[in-house]
Amino acid sequence: MAIDTVPPLISAQINYLIGHCPFSVKVEQMWSGCKNPNLLDRFTLVIPYCLDHVKWDVIFNAMYPLAAPDVIFGPEDEGFQPYASGTGQPSKNSLANWNSRDPSRLYSLIVELRDAYMAFQRRRISEIDDERVKFEFSTMISREGIEMYMSLGTDKPEEVKFAVPLLDIDLNKLVAGCTWRHPQKVYLQVIFPVGKKYSSVPPPPRLKLISSPELKALLSTEDFKLPTWVDGMCTAEYLPNLEQMLNTQIKDAVSSIEIRRKFIQSLAPHLGRPIEADPVFCRRATFLCSSGLFTFQVHCALSLQFPKQQPALVLQSSQHFNAHGAPVKSPTLSEYPWSPRWNSSEKADRIFDFLADEALNFKKNCNQLNQQ
Amino acid sequence: MDVAEVKSSNPQPTVHGGGGDTLPAVRFSNEDILFCIDVGRETLAEMKVNGPNGRPYTRLDSIKQAIMLFVHSKLTINPDHRFAFSALGKSTYWLRKEFSSEVDAALSALRGLSVDSSSSHADLTQLFKVATHEAKKSRAQNRIFRVILIYCRSSRPPQSQLPSTLKLFTLDVMYLHDKPGPDNCPQVVYDTLVDALERISEFEGYIFESGQGLARALFRNMCQLLCHPQQRCIQDELDLPMSLVKKSPAADASQGDENTVVSIQ
Repeated sequence: MAIDTVPPLISAQINYLIGHCPFSVKVEQMWSGCKNPNLLDRFTLVIPYCLDHVKWDVIFNAMYPLAAPDVIFGPEDEGFQPYASGTGQPSKNSLANWNSRDPSRLYSLIVELRDAYMAFQRRRISEIDDERVKFEFSTMISREGIEMYMSLGTDKPEEVKFAVPLLDIDLNKLVAGCTWRHPQKVYLQVIFPVGKKYSSVPPPPRLKLISSPELKALLSTEDFKLPTWVDGMCTAEYLPNLEQMLNTQIKDAVSSIEIRRKFIQSLAPHLGRPIEADPVFCRRATFLCSSGLFTFQVHCALSLQFPKQQPALVLQSSQHFNAHGAPVKSPTLSEYPWSPRWNSSEKADRIFDFLADEALNFKKNCNQLNQQ
Repeated sequence: MDVAEVKSSNPQPTVHGGGGDTLPAVRFSNEDILFCIDVGRETLAEMKVNGPNGRPYTRLDSIKQAIMLFVHSKLTINPDHRFAFSALGKSTYWLRKEFSSEVDAALSALRGLSVDSSSSHADLTQLFKVATHEAKKSRAQNRIFRVILIYCRSSRPPQSQLPSTLKLFTLDVMYLHDKPGPDNCPQVVYDTLVDALERISEFEGYIFESGQGLARALFRNMCQLLCHPQQRCIQDELDLPMSLVKKSPAADASQGDENTVVSIQ
């Protein structure tokens, strides 16, 4: 049986790209385009752009390993021809200078193409005949890190989206011990409809706060209440108040880590030293407990709303297994006596009492399941 | 023999068990855990309780179940830990070399376990060498490496030469043995294992032994081995599992759980 393989020169390019790319690029699928169906020399790259993704197909040919690849963009980007104009400086063109033995070339190419794509989108947007869009474009274009995207309806531009990075602070440095690989950011997504005629004042754009994925361990953008967009406002006016609110939220989120840490530590005298706990965001801890001869684990999960929302607890037996050989777990326990106003030691006492009782129930249920 | 020692840059394990310092804000790494399972003939010894079909339940059966308990539990705690598997006859060989956080990978690796009745003495040199090599790869990915050795021989302590670089990984041992008698030496074996652990282990290694043939005790020890090496106290201070019994009304002393180790169908 033949196994599909990726030719080594191509695989080296992909590995370098994924290991070094400042944005998180992924390979979505790979397939063969050459005479040998087991050599995977074509693949789709999923590239983050403007809080969404673009997908580009990279076409190598395993039969000609020294040749530069082709890149195919999405159908809606037919006008995107990055190296078409004769005025492009030769040194900036990674395709013209292709060296298959240098594994960093694909990485350079993709970074270049993404920059060119950003410029392409900006050009398109600057040409739209819509007063508000023109104004927004002119006031926001100089903001560092902003990305823009124009989506098309059947025939003409339909919407313009801005991805506005907020707060010029290094979030990665705020949390002690955190190992986020990529710089984390919160963005304001602003979407304007294009070309509609408004009688007086255009309606507010669609607004959404979006954070980079790893930030979710620290901050919930869903719970953030956006300030009101006053009629006649523009994005540049909207941002300062928003950033101030976000800054406060982030400070609160960082100090919440210590509140959760203190709580987990307060459980240790009752439930024992945790067998594992997350020391960076303090969102979870597992304890090893017993009730008589019955040994079980207590998994404790703290949401970002702690202490307003109480911890969710799950018990897991060390002695009872289901049909798949997995140790039996209790359902999630999140309704038990709780008040955020209790001090740490009262919270810990109450949880201990609850668990001491619940352990007996759990043991009984597990034994009953056994007897069936 | 010149032996280089890698000084761990991580804080020493805490000695006192009070709550205050249990969770300092230090870097935390996900684990790559290599199981090494003894497949000598002593793994065929029977445990005290029969299995689900009334068939004899051997040490090896209970070890497999204990490992699945460990893997399931560890992944519930943190789905980013990974596992690989090897077996120990005379020397060590791979059951599954690629680290994976999939339960099915563990299941299929354990299916590949078969007893090697010919081996009576064991040599851990190869295990330590392989672990040292693999540990370097894990550390390059900001992970920590751990070996969990499950050893079952009561009459022969394992031999080993120390690897050239020490303390690149944590070594834990689970030792299942017969009751001490004139023809065996489980204490000598135990002491040899403790010695290896103390020299080799990066973080505090834990060693547990059981000679009673009770699966329940084995499973409890496996749960104790769940302790994350970077967050451990020294073994002498290990006070787990913690008893959750209220001081007032008498707790229910239900009968069924003493030897409970069964599958639920």
